[in-house]
Amino acid sequence: MHRPDRSTVLRAAAAIAGVALVACVPFVVQDRYLLRILTLVGINLVVVSGLSLLFGYAGQVSLGHAAFVGIGAYGSAYLSKAGWPWLLAVSAGVALAAAGGLLLAMPSLRLKGHYLAMATLGFGEIMFVFFDNAEAITGGSDGLQQIPPASFGPFQVTTPEGNFWLVWAFVCVSLLLVHNVVRRRPGRALRAIHGSEMGATACGVDTVRAKIEVFVVSAALAGLAGALMAHYIGSLSPASFTLHRSVVFLTMVALGGSGSLFGSVAATVLLTLLPYVDSIVPGVSRQVAGFLQDWEPDIYALVLISVMLFLPRGLAGVGRTVAARAREWVARPAAGGEGSAT
Amino acid sequence: VDTAGILQFVVAGLKNGSIYALVALGFTIVYASTNVINFAQGEFYMLGGMLGVFAFSSLGLPLGLAVPVAVVATACIGALVEILFVRRRKDGEPMPLIIITVGVSMLLASQARHWFGSDELPLPPFTPGASLSVGGAAIEVQTLWIWGLTIAAVAALTLLYDRTRLGLAMRACMQNREAARLMGIDTAWIVMMSFALAAMLGAIGGVAVTPLTQTRFDIGTGIAIKGFAAAILGGLGNPLAAVAGGLVLGLVESLSIAALSTVAQGSSTYKDAIAIAVLLLVLFLRPQGLFVRATKEKV
Repeated sequence: MHRPDRSTVLRAAAAIAGVALVACVPFVVQDRYLLRILTLVGINLVVVSGLSLLFGYAGQVSLGHAAFVGIGAYGSAYLSKAGWPWLLAVSAGVALAAAGGLLLAMPSLRLKGHYLAMATLGFGEIMFVFFDNAEAITGGSDGLQQIPPASFGPFQVTTPEGNFWLVWAFVCVSLLLVHNVVRRRPGRALRAIHGSEMGATACGVDTVRAKIEVFVVSAALAGLAGALMAHYIGSLSPASFTLHRSVVFLTMVALGGSGSLFGSVAATVLLTLLPYVDSIVPGVSRQVAGFLQDWEPDIYALVLISVMLFLPRGLAGVGRTVAARAREWVARPAAGGEGSAT
Repeated sequence: VDTAGILQFVVAGLKNGSIYALVALGFTIVYASTNVINFAQGEFYMLGGMLGVFAFSSLGLPLGLAVPVAVVATACIGALVEILFVRRRKDGEPMPLIIITVGVSMLLASQARHWFGSDELPLPPFTPGASLSVGGAAIEVQTLWIWGLTIAAVAALTLLYDRTRLGLAMRACMQNREAARLMGIDTAWIVMMSFALAAMLGAIGGVAVTPLTQTRFDIGTGIAIKGFAAAILGGLGNPLAAVAGGLVLGLVESLSIAALSTVAQGSSTYKDAIAIAVLLLVLFLRPQGLFVRATKEKV
């Protein structure tokens, strides 16, 4: 019917190359601390892939995604401490987060944008109160310790390399899932919503249903990230699931650029690594990293504001502009020479 | 619980409710002129208290001077936020502006931590004196200050809207910003004044409550949620409804704590969840507010 065009083939090749590159990382990176940071990058990526779907494609803002990460984390940790096998506990954590997403989405996605933002903020705060106080389940402000590591039957994933591969395998699955949602009919419906919600409704798009679906998927991915994190780190504390975290995730998606998965990935890697710059770039002193950690909220806030003011299309927009300029520049001397093979 | 006990909860509810009303008015004023929910509104409340402590303890100003200085300084910060961040987004799209205010909120809280540290900071009561006893309930003198300042602020706001050219221009902007601009009203200036006014109201609440509760760099989000809950309970965009919403929310919160504390011991840990539950219920069941008729969105 339709031959894959050159850019599709290129994209697929780039994706495969990317996966291969990531798979090789543990062989190249000997520093265990760095490997740990890169694993945390992967966990953030799972959240951001879902949030990118919600914010970047459907244009909906969530200020409560840290709560879904928390639901997945506490749910999975609690159940596996109660003796559930890892895979079952993680699945249950994801299901709980998805259910929470559905519960929040059904009433609130009928609301306009700013009400939705406030509803998700309220949900996040109420869940934080729960994480911080429900001692029987979440351990209260002390949190949970000694969460069993990931395991398949008798085989436990305890090495840094093993955890890296495990988390990044889920990153690939999440990105693939989101990519597919974007390319197919739901994605087109989403872009229509982003353009004009009333217009989309008039064209027969069930906008509320599409938004609810996307919200549930993004909540489930956040829950997955939380579950992965719980078993990887081995302990949980409510401080990881605050509004601050939700804004951090939002900043990553915003910097990536709406409607670009690749941009979100780049932004997440960049922003997650920033406070650890001293262990990545040689020659950067510990003090610089310390300053960056102390000023992390300011940096995120300024990035978020600057993107909204000066880079509405995010890193992806910058990338597209640069690519277009480069193409022009390459095409100029060869004008009329190669031509586009269609 | 006896009558005096209930009366005590009513006093507490009306005290907190006045504070929520001030913050809710801030939301309403900015929303009316920009169609944007200012997520940084709670930070103005925080800054009012923090700058009050700074002016009093670090600069050594007398309290009677430190409080107005803090309020005016916060109003200037509010105007600055509008000039630096909000105004630059020229298209006025609500969603990016909301995200900008989320960033501003995080920035202001973090800056407050850098400047004033992360400790709880105290302020003495505005005037010394023993608590009054009314029907068995104790009313602290500072609570009277909170009520007095709230009434004064609402009265001043009413006068501003009814009797001044600025108020007239603000009301025109509320009804139709584009038409107001075409009539020669400097809408950019109105928006800036709205932010300054909203910051001022938040700061009055924040500095007035600090002698009772102390203050900290991270209290902005909590009060923003409560103030917004109050604003939406009344119906967003209507100043008088915002005040009513604040008082209703304060009473509901206080009386539910009273009811819960008789049922279960130690349930006050969940008291912050009550206002959020009210917020979510109103959002889901009656987003237009209790006192305002619903309108249909048109293309």
